[in-house]
Amino acid sequence: MSAHQGLSCLECRHLGVGVAKGPRLATVDVRIPAGRFTAILGPNGAGKSTLMSMLVGERAPQSGQVLLDGQALSAHAVEGLARRRSVMPQDCSVAFDFTAQEVVELGRYPHRHQPGAGEAQIPAQAMELTGVDHLAQRSINTLSGGERARTHLARALAQIWQPPADGAARWLLLDEPTAALDLAHQHHAMRLLRQWAGQQGAGVVAVIHDLNLALRYADDVLVLGGDAGVHHGAVLDVLQPALVRQVWGMQCDPVRSSDGALQYIFVADTALPV
Amino acid sequence: MGGLTGVMGAKPVPGASATPSRWRTPAGRLSRGATLLLGLALVLLAMVWGAASGAYAIAPAQLPGIAWDGIRSLWGGDVQTGPEHLVFLNIRLPRLLMGVAAGAGLGLAGALMQGLFRNPLADPGLIGVSSGAALAAGITIVLGGMYLPWLPRHLGSWALVAMAFGGGLAVTAVVYVLGQVQGTTRIGLMLLAGIAINALAGAGLGFLSFVSTDEQLRNLQMWLLGSLGASRWSAVALVWAAVAVSAAAALALARPLNAIALGEAQANLLGVAVEKTKRRAVMVAALAVGAVTATTGIIGFIGLVAPHWVRLIAGPDHRVVLPGSALLGAALVVSADAVARTIVKPAELPLGVLTAFIGVPLFLAMLRQFRSKV
Amino acid sequence: MSTARISRRQGLQWLGASVAGTALPGLAQAASAAAAPGAKRLVSLSGALTEVVYLLNAQNLLVGTDTTSLFPEAAQKTAKVGYVRQLSAEGLLSLKPDAVIATSEAGPPVVLDQIRQAGVRVSLVAARHNWAEVQEKVKVVGRETGRMAEADQLLAQLEAQWSSVQAQVAKAQRKPRVLFVLSHSGSPQVAGKGTAANALIQYAGCVNAIDQFDGYKPLTAEAMASAAPEVIINTTQGIEALGGEAAFWKRPELALTPAFAKKALVTLEASHLLGFGPRLPSAVQALHMRALQWVA
Repeated sequence: MSAHQGLSCLECRHLGVGVAKGPRLATVDVRIPAGRFTAILGPNGAGKSTLMSMLVGERAPQSGQVLLDGQALSAHAVEGLARRRSVMPQDCSVAFDFTAQEVVELGRYPHRHQPGAGEAQIPAQAMELTGVDHLAQRSINTLSGGERARTHLARALAQIWQPPADGAARWLLLDEPTAALDLAHQHHAMRLLRQWAGQQGAGVVAVIHDLNLALRYADDVLVLGGDAGVHHGAVLDVLQPALVRQVWGMQCDPVRSSDGALQYIFVADTALPV
Repeated sequence: MGGLTGVMGAKPVPGASATPSRWRTPAGRLSRGATLLLGLALVLLAMVWGAASGAYAIAPAQLPGIAWDGIRSLWGGDVQTGPEHLVFLNIRLPRLLMGVAAGAGLGLAGALMQGLFRNPLADPGLIGVSSGAALAAGITIVLGGMYLPWLPRHLGSWALVAMAFGGGLAVTAVVYVLGQVQGTTRIGLMLLAGIAINALAGAGLGFLSFVSTDEQLRNLQMWLLGSLGASRWSAVALVWAAVAVSAAAALALARPLNAIALGEAQANLLGVAVEKTKRRAVMVAALAVGAVTATTGIIGFIGLVAPHWVRLIAGPDHRVVLPGSALLGAALVVSADAVARTIVKPAELPLGVLTAFIGVPLFLAMLRQFRSKV
Repeated sequence: MSTARISRRQGLQWLGASVAGTALPGLAQAASAAAAPGAKRLVSLSGALTEVVYLLNAQNLLVGTDTTSLFPEAAQKTAKVGYVRQLSAEGLLSLKPDAVIATSEAGPPVVLDQIRQAGVRVSLVAARHNWAEVQEKVKVVGRETGRMAEADQLLAQLEAQWSSVQAQVAKAQRKPRVLFVLSHSGSPQVAGKGTAANALIQYAGCVNAIDQFDGYKPLTAEAMASAAPEVIINTTQGIEALGGEAAFWKRPELALTPAFAKKALVTLEASHLLGFGPRLPSAVQALHMRALQWVA
């Protein structure tokens, strides 16, 4: 981990999470540091996707603000931001029959005036990383859901493939990146995200559903617990069985897998209301 | 950090990687250079055919000599002129050049609209420029004599063209403004507004038809059917200027439109100035189609078909679709006009009718061949 | 062939001239202004003008006609240059005419300019829907075909016909209320003021049942009923298009008119009825007599 990561952070300052003129789902006051993989968790309707859209700048906060490196998100120049921050949306429909390669190449759009070293190989390398390089010349609309998701992940990675010249930290925000992926690819993707946070020093924030994936791969979690409140911190500290029961209403037994990772086995509790 | 290709045993897709050459992309499509070269060749072929055909018999061998005489006459000198000179240089040649500009403008605008609306069925008419021009032309033809007598006084024979151009731009501006919500352009809203305004213009035209005299009605009908017949050199120069400006402005929109294919939200996150791109696309399309429609009436189908065709051959990258549609549109219009001028000579068919008759079978033939790729 | 010598100054003058911009510099031949001897090749763009050409026995000069030139039958075999409002410059020039005669309907104006620049004489007769129009048509054809003497003779004949018809009309005891119906699909259109049909009705000593509007407009059944025409006029082509007289009278709008009771219908061939050509006297007479018959 390089030294400057400690300076870059994505901060939610008294951020009111909820749709415009809708109910307040949560109030978030956290600082998400770069160089760590932060997972956003919570039950349905708790505001995870709404929070993500505010972190990305697509949606105006109900109150408070989102700051990147101390500056309000809206104050950042759009083009400069695009060179160091990429977003993988939950779903993305592509008009027209672009090939997977062309879609990944679109990720390099912010760098068109300042191509990096080895620019031409970046899309191919990103596609190799997510395992879609053999689909490069296929039209993206003919790919399966999982293949499409991995293509968009490759595009998001290609967008921030190289560190910016000023050494600022890169950011990668993902809204349910594992939703369409099969088991092996889920783990592969999560491993990738953890490596990008750890080795590349990027700030990685992902909304995920699967608590066990968070336990195994995330550094920090941000739990939007509805009535149970907002909890942020290192994953093992925050994601205790007591909180899981409080937020998700599920009993869980902690176990260790054969490679030493903490995982929860869930117990169906008929006493709790469904 | 390896990929999963070998590990998961994923098999490469058969036929996915054709050997890339200068002419073909790895995906098996025609390369950008090859496509534009093909388009240029088609335009030149169409122009040669158009130059050699017409109701007035001119031996094709004479044409280069006549063209050279025309060029010489521009900067003084003895020029022997015969009736062939007049027919070719004053009637046929300006018409040919008008056809190139008209087809290019319509094809380009069609490609821009399809990129803007992220839909291959979009057509420049959606933003109201054609119906606005038609309505203004109708007002000029039917009401001009009585209510706008100052028009011919100041604009002379340009009254109709000026009004139609102004009308096209004005209606597009209305549609655009109706699509604004809090400073952003909502494409879906603009589409609905366009549909509504088009219907209103149609009703206006219907009313004008009702109050018109027999003569005015026929004049309006013929204008609506579209024709390159009124192509005088000054009109040709104006339309070329408008289309050239549009083409230059459209070049810069190609990559942003590619990004917009991912959706406006994603394009924004890639650093594309989405609102500016949308506004520019509408303006450029309105300028091109407005100028063309004001001079030639309604020529349909080109803006819809040319981009499709280019996409079938060369893929959806706007860096090839925009210029390719312009070239293909030009070739289509010039060819259609050559047929319109000769098929019932010495009379002439309206061009708008012919572009559909020619365009549709060719389009369907293309679809059959590339069925798998659609 | 003519040699156009263009000085540099002249060549640059085109900037001003080409606001009208119909020609490259030096390549416009001014049409000969003075009255030239008759044309050797003539294009006629009006049915009435074509009729006069045949009456003056000048049909061998005719190299092309428009789509409305259908009488006499021989005219249908000449080369057709298309619809008079949407002419093709090259198409007209391909017939190599010396002169083109037309009514003010001919267009588009740019095409007429282009033809004039090619040295073709273009004569336009304004459509005024009166006897003067017919007279002018005869004179123009006479001038352009170089048969002035024959034209004067024809004019004299027609004047005689016209006076006798007018006298006959003047003697009539009453003026029938008539309505000219243009029956295409949908609701029938009727001729109001300012139309050729209206002028014809006046000449024939009838009254147009409609005088509230100009031009051709559709009329509802009630409006038809309150207009109360005693006789309906239509063209033979119009009746044929509907499938015969019986089918025409089945139209609901006509059921409440006085004309319906007697099925009072006068039909004439379209170019005869509305062409305002040399057959105008006979059209007026026919209309007059038949209308009177129905109301007698």
